[in-house]
Amino acid sequence: MSEILKPASTYSDIVKTISNPGLGLGLRSMHFDYILEHNPPVDWFEIISENFMDSGGRPRHILRKLADRYPVVMHGVSLSIGSTDPINWEYLAKLKALAAEIKPLWVSDHLCWTGINMLNTHDLLPVVLNEESLKHIIGRIKQVQDYLERPLVIENPSTYLTFKQSSIAEWDFLRYMAEETGCGLLLDVNNVYVSAFNNDFDPVHYIKQLPHDRIVQMHIAGHQHCGDYIIDTHDRNVVDDVWKLFSLAWELTGGVATLLEWDGNIPDFNTYHAELLKAKQFMNGMEHASTTPIQIKKENFTVSNPVSFLVNDIKF
Amino acid sequence: MINKEVLPIAEIQNWMQAMLIQHVPISHLDVTTADMVNDSKRLSAAQHLTIYRQSYIARLRACMQSQFKCLAHALGELLFQDFADEYLDSNPSASYTLNNLGEKFPLFLEMNRPDAESEEKEEWPDFMIELAAFEYALSEIFDMQGTDDINIPDSNTPDHLLITSPTLHLFEYKFPICSYYLDFNANLSPNLPFPQKSHCAVSRQNYKLGLFNLGIDQYYFLNCIKEGASIQEAKDKLIEFYNFERSNFEKIWPIWRRNFIVSGFLVCKNDA
Ligand SMILES: [Fe+2]
Repeated sequence: MSEILKPASTYSDIVKTISNPGLGLGLRSMHFDYILEHNPPVDWFEIISENFMDSGGRPRHILRKLADRYPVVMHGVSLSIGSTDPINWEYLAKLKALAAEIKPLWVSDHLCWTGINMLNTHDLLPVVLNEESLKHIIGRIKQVQDYLERPLVIENPSTYLTFKQSSIAEWDFLRYMAEETGCGLLLDVNNVYVSAFNNDFDPVHYIKQLPHDRIVQMHIAGHQHCGDYIIDTHDRNVVDDVWKLFSLAWELTGGVATLLEWDGNIPDFNTYHAELLKAKQFMNGMEHASTTPIQIKKENFTVSNPVSFLVNDIKF
Repeated sequence: MINKEVLPIAEIQNWMQAMLIQHVPISHLDVTTADMVNDSKRLSAAQHLTIYRQSYIARLRACMQSQFKCLAHALGELLFQDFADEYLDSNPSASYTLNNLGEKFPLFLEMNRPDAESEEKEEWPDFMIELAAFEYALSEIFDMQGTDDINIPDSNTPDHLLITSPTLHLFEYKFPICSYYLDFNANLSPNLPFPQKSHCAVSRQNYKLGLFNLGIDQYYFLNCIKEGASIQEAKDKLIEFYNFERSNFEKIWPIWRRNFIVSGFLVCKNDA
């Protein structure tokens, strides 16, 4: 690219002005009717961008209505910022058009790659954490931010392996990346817990090492313990150890937008909302929170990042 | 000899993707998983990679399953999974959205029908291919561009202002596909049907789909309008083609008209 890219400060200045909209929920099609009818007191909703960017039917129609009533954040899964394929400008054009229409508080995606050679595995694959990849990703974030004319917010994914060729700790990688590009960070506390268990690092150390002033949002979610490893299933309540990490991250960041992800076995809206509101108990340390001991129940293999919500649920 | 410690990230991604998406993984690099991935306290490098391998196929299988729920019922879970796995193996996704993952599945079933080699054709593959195409069409119509809540005619709208809705789709099949689908959707666990020519319409109103069985004459009539004929021209064609008595047809026309409007088949012209 011969064009001159904007300096990191263009975006870090914007990131610093982002205020905390409160506690949010993921927008899921099974809750559309309930939300439209009851206007539940949720602070904001997070949408999966890919579910709506091509939609000319009910999903987009409902989103237009909800975006009038609630603040919305766009969360993507196909940006593939770590891929060595060329940037997909067609995808970005659609992302930008959706953002222009619904005016999200911010646009986020993951530190991952989803495929190469024009293929998409539809998984959030781990990036190699070394100098080459850091430089590569910084360059791409800059191009995407300049095109979207807004900062990106990048999330730490759940990982299930580490590469021999990696030489930088993930928390340092995220810090350098944020410094060089001005992007914001989305700290998924559950993902830290999952990745830490799977790859033998200390989740508390990870969270302490992050640049806390760059974190604009947190994710919390439930996961599935399979004994020797943990899968990030987003299909159940948040475990106590994750609430503890949330409590720590809340203290270190001074409190940021927090969202509960729930993508498999999605409960009724009120159950989902009630689980989110538990977060309030953990905002002043753990001493006021009522916790239940963890029960590790070994379960069989399951799918991470379930996609049932990524395919349209046809309404008759 | 390659230096495994300084492999470019493009090579590493190539390696990893090949290990995930192929049923039998083939590495183009002369490396083992242990050369690329760290062991951990509990898992070997290969076990770490296996988590991604299993997730890849399980996720896309689940996606195919939710895109072709009725077909999965008709084929039975195991046979459906075999077809889906083979399809995914030869048609890995190249799209940022999963909504079109199954786009080429009907064609794939056609090309890979079990009786492809033999002279004598069986009937059931025809049914499965028609059902797959119908089910994929439903997902497309559900999310296609359309203005569902404007230009709704009423009883005073003159015939010459009526056209077919852009979301109206008409289908002609060798099997009773729509009936089978409706039974499945009503949890009636339908059995495989015998061949029987059928016609149906799918329309979208207020962003919800409606499925309707049609008589062959209704199908013919609506198809004429969809292809650009006015109501009057379509009436003339229908009467001529089926040798109807005009006065008889004019008696049932108000009933057709009312049903076609209520079902979302007919809307007002944009400039009306
Ligand atoms: Fe997350």
